[in-house]
Amino acid sequence: MRALSWIYIGAIFTFIFLPVVVLVLFSFQDSRLPVPPFNGPSLKWYTQVLNDRGLMEALTNSLLVALVSAAVALLLGFFAAQGLARIRLPGSVLMRGLLIAPMTVSYLIIALGLLSMFNDLGFRPSLWTTGVGHVVINVPLCFAILFASMGDHQKNAERAARDLGAGEVQVLFLVTAPMLKPALLAAYFLSVTFSWDEFIIAFLLTRFDVTLPVEIWSMLRSGLSPATNAIGSLVFLVSIAILFLLEFTVFRKPRA
Amino acid sequence: MTADVTLEGVNHRFGDFDALRDITLSFDAGEFVVLLGPSGCGKSTLLFILGGFLEPRSGTVKIGGQDMAGVAPKDRPTTTMFQDYALFPHMSLRDNVGFGLRMKRQSKAKRNARADEMLDLVGLLDKARAKPHELSGGQRQRVALARALAVEPEVLLLDEPLGALDLNLRRQMQEELKAIQRKVGTTFIHVTHDQEEAMAIADRIVVMNAGQIEDQGRPEDVYLRPKTLFSANFMGDINRLPNTLAKASGTTAACVRPENIGLSGEIALGDATLESSAFFGTYHRCHFRIAETTYVAHLPIGALPEPGATVPLFASNPVLLEMPE
Repeated sequence: MRALSWIYIGAIFTFIFLPVVVLVLFSFQDSRLPVPPFNGPSLKWYTQVLNDRGLMEALTNSLLVALVSAAVALLLGFFAAQGLARIRLPGSVLMRGLLIAPMTVSYLIIALGLLSMFNDLGFRPSLWTTGVGHVVINVPLCFAILFASMGDHQKNAERAARDLGAGEVQVLFLVTAPMLKPALLAAYFLSVTFSWDEFIIAFLLTRFDVTLPVEIWSMLRSGLSPATNAIGSLVFLVSIAILFLLEFTVFRKPRA
Repeated sequence: MTADVTLEGVNHRFGDFDALRDITLSFDAGEFVVLLGPSGCGKSTLLFILGGFLEPRSGTVKIGGQDMAGVAPKDRPTTTMFQDYALFPHMSLRDNVGFGLRMKRQSKAKRNARADEMLDLVGLLDKARAKPHELSGGQRQRVALARALAVEPEVLLLDEPLGALDLNLRRQMQEELKAIQRKVGTTFIHVTHDQEEAMAIADRIVVMNAGQIEDQGRPEDVYLRPKTLFSANFMGDINRLPNTLAKASGTTAACVRPENIGLSGEIALGDATLESSAFFGTYHRCHFRIAETTYVAHLPIGALPEPGATVPLFASNPVLLEMPE
């Protein structure tokens, strides 16, 4: 039985991680195609990728869009959650539903909607429009995470702070935000990764200053190359880095 | 610091539920007042109105002679000790206790000194650097008290602060609360539904029911000479005597506490049969039956008749109470 469960675990991890392992492995390929047999290792594709101005520009664009759009989504999600958690309004259940609803809509539909709206308004596709698109998909996420972590506990602590003489700004910065820190960081970094990986919206809403996934897609159109493996590995590295950062800062259990 | 509190004609409604009806009350500076009543009687609503978390529909609230209408909680000379303590989980005990002084822009050195002084008062100075999650319930409760007192409020409001503690700890904290109140001299207004707690700590008990004040006075007055049947019932068991035996008539009835029923006394009730009894350490709690009426009596140790025995039963110190229809 014990052996079986180990085999099962091994199978699961192989299934999940084999593609990534293959991707990373063949990024060190010495020859021109990322297929067996493996020759190498070689860092030449990394050199090529890191010296590719277009790719590096796309990477910078992606980072910029991810960091800024996640910050905007976090701020909007936080205000919405704080408002709906604190103040009883008629139809607040409906509002909550409407805020979360975009999560169930496919990115393609959201992208199409945004594209036609921006067209009607006369905005040209750009990093800005992509950023707006990423805010649209990440606000529901930030709202849901933050709303779920705002309990009575939080509300009572805020009331106690007001009772002890704190103004609203002080309550926000000294009590609300620090108490929500794990949720705020989780929402922010999840939003960053979602935006960082997002393709369809970025593809439809950018034209010249593209993001990294769009750039990789256009590289792939000219066929497989270890260079795409190399850039893929770099993207993977960034995701892993964020994951570890979260694990060791936000989700670390406080020492009892 | 301490101040008197007066309420005049205070009303409050939640939707179409009358939470408070025409409350007029005044508390002296330095008094330890307990608002006592069942849940939903309006005692917490009254406390929240004093703290400024609720604005009454009508009526005036004055603290130290100052009208509190439209004054926000942060600008009132009151602080509240909340039922769930509401400590700031991300701050050390010292920062928790010093928070109110930080809001008053006191220097770090000054507020830390004051925080340590308050932590010392509640016996937690050695844990000044700990975070709230490292403490037990009773300790958190003490921190909440220290935090509320650190800003030297004139009136401290306590919203069922001992409700979450187990019985032994609750008794111990009651004594501590009382001792600390004597020491700091602040007016304490304490809400509870536990009549034993009320008697243990209060200078004055205000019994509330359905948004109204039923009775108020020193614990012994409220217990021994309650003004209403509700108040008598809420403070402890009562026996209602037949009108023929006591000087009661019409809608009034004579009521007697179990400890005032015994084998001797002023009013002879007749021969009673002991139906059941239980031992409570300092007394025997007995159920006697005379014809169709059951009496609850607390007999002293050693005075317990045989089970099923018939003995003459007496009552003393009856209180005449108006019976609601």
